Amino acid sequence: MTHVSIKNLTKVYPGLTVPSLDNLSLEINSGSLTALLGPSGCGKTTTMKMIAGLLDQTSGDVTFDGTSILKEKPENRGVVMVFQNHLLFPYMNVQDNIGFGLKMRNVHKDEIFNRVIKMLDLVKLPNMENRMPKELSGGQQQRVALARALIVQPRVLLLDEPLSNLDAHLRFEMRDLIRNLQQSMGITTIFVTHDQEEAVVLADQVALILDGKLKQYAQPDVFYKKPIDVVTAKFFGGQNFIKGTSKNNNFSSNIGKLALPKDCLQGNGILTFRPENVQIGKGPKSVNTIKAKIIEKIFLGTQTRLKLSIKDEVIQAIANPNEVDEKETGIEIDINIPPSCLWVINN
Amino acid sequence: MSDRTKILLLLAPALSIIILLFFGGLFVGLLRSFNYMPIIGLTEPNLNAYFSVFQSKEFYYSFILSFHIAFTSTIISATLAIGAALLLRRNFIGKSIINFLFQINLTVPHLVGAIGILYLFSQSGSFARLAAEWGMITRPAEFPELVFDPYAIGIILQYVWKEIPFIGVIVLANMQSLGEDYESVARSLGANKWQTFRYVLLPLIFPGVLSASVIVFAFTFGAYEIPAMLGANYPAALPVLAYRKYTDVDLAARPEAMAMAIVIALLSAVMIFFYLRYTRKRIRG
Repeated sequence: MTHVSIKNLTKVYPGLTVPSLDNLSLEINSGSLTALLGPSGCGKTTTMKMIAGLLDQTSGDVTFDGTSILKEKPENRGVVMVFQNHLLFPYMNVQDNIGFGLKMRNVHKDEIFNRVIKMLDLVKLPNMENRMPKELSGGQQQRVALARALIVQPRVLLLDEPLSNLDAHLRFEMRDLIRNLQQSMGITTIFVTHDQEEAVVLADQVALILDGKLKQYAQPDVFYKKPIDVVTAKFFGGQNFIKGTSKNNNFSSNIGKLALPKDCLQGNGILTFRPENVQIGKGPKSVNTIKAKIIEKIFLGTQTRLKLSIKDEVIQAIANPNEVDEKETGIEIDINIPPSCLWVINN
Repeated sequence: MSDRTKILLLLAPALSIIILLFFGGLFVGLLRSFNYMPIIGLTEPNLNAYFSVFQSKEFYYSFILSFHIAFTSTIISATLAIGAALLLRRNFIGKSIINFLFQINLTVPHLVGAIGILYLFSQSGSFARLAAEWGMITRPAEFPELVFDPYAIGIILQYVWKEIPFIGVIVLANMQSLGEDYESVARSLGANKWQTFRYVLLPLIFPGVLSASVIVFAFTFGAYEIPAMLGANYPAALPVLAYRKYTDVDLAARPEAMAMAIVIALLSAVMIFFYLRYTRKRIRG
């Protein structure tokens, strides 16, 4: 179990003036699974490579349990990185691939073999030890890459886009496998991804990095309920942003006065709420009920997306198809947004 | 006209030249090596030329010398080429100039290189004179015998000079297309720099090194002009020996020359076969 502390980590690549990673600071708890989330080029892979020792930092520090690791050679850091494209050594069979790290540590052949066989069971690939990488499917290659990393019992495991190369049905399987192994072995794990869904389903904590800067570091649900700014909210699929004023737990704007939860920002701000939290047909007596006109209705199979106008504002809502089946475009309906689903962000 | 016919027709001029010169030459050579030369009255094919080749001590000495030249040149060139490629794939100031200089002798003919070696390294060459002038030796003739020497140092020097960039360019392209991710994986799994090179990079670039060095081996084993220019009179490299037989005033020596040429070709093929098998096992195992 290793506590990882990233302090003001910065990377400016030679020939560039703008840092690719700018003063990143994160505290990563022992045994936790943390996502570094952001679009490509935001600095997340740079961060991972600096932790792994594959890239030199411009400034800042990384400590494991309080001791800086930046002066250690990559092979002595106890950090193993699993790359997105698996990178199994193509000329070695599965057994030699998984046993590679132990061979480099001069572990005896017989012990390597025994540990490889156990590892293959753990990643659910029994009897595959003699296969060559090209004989494996993408999902199987990913498991071998994971086994190859875990067998050396790293202090910190780094995963580069661990689910993004997999088919939809394999993603859940792989997610469960990663979570189970990570928790049973208690390895502090950091992974990078550009996919917010991947971050949310896998991570205990998510660090959103945009343009080399940390935007928000929190548990996954916080990004949906309490995004720090409009950009963050939009990154997580937020679509409703209404300017107004927050005062005494009420928000006044073009669409009327809405009751807010207690911990909201005071003063001028932007009200945000998720399309899926807009309730339809609760009746006019519920809190935060307003009249809205349906201007567009798109059936998406399991849900129906609505575009609603409230005075001059247009908002997006997602409803159960049964609730809006008989409601035609152009009619006026009552909608309701529970106070606990509202959040005010700084203007 | 089908696509296949079109392609065959387009390739026909090139193919016919290759077939005519290569297989035609090989066929005529084979006939002569079997003592079939109607022009001087030899009309009964036999294996006499081969017997006399295999019975002559000179042939074995020449074979050992040619093998030594080809093997040593290939190993030294491949090793230095890998080293050069490792340095050249890094980023440094002036990389493009160094890269250009590294590749420049690819365009220089072997003969020109050989003349350079002669001027620089022979006992009457520039280095011998400089050494004498600087008092390292009393007269140029004391300079170590690097050209026309029994160990073929001059020949090997010339081949190494010429073949390093040839193998190096192939290996460098190979390394650049691989990127450094495999090495990063190895480092993060606990391999040090040497282990990463030995167990990851070397096996990955090996196919490229192998094909380039097979070409170098076959070429240096069968080439005539450099051993003829820079080699000792005795023993001579196999191709030189074969050529001497071929140009012998006695026309009856020709079948022997042809038998020797055929043997050179066969030996090359056999040695390449074993070289491929052995090295593949060693590097990948």
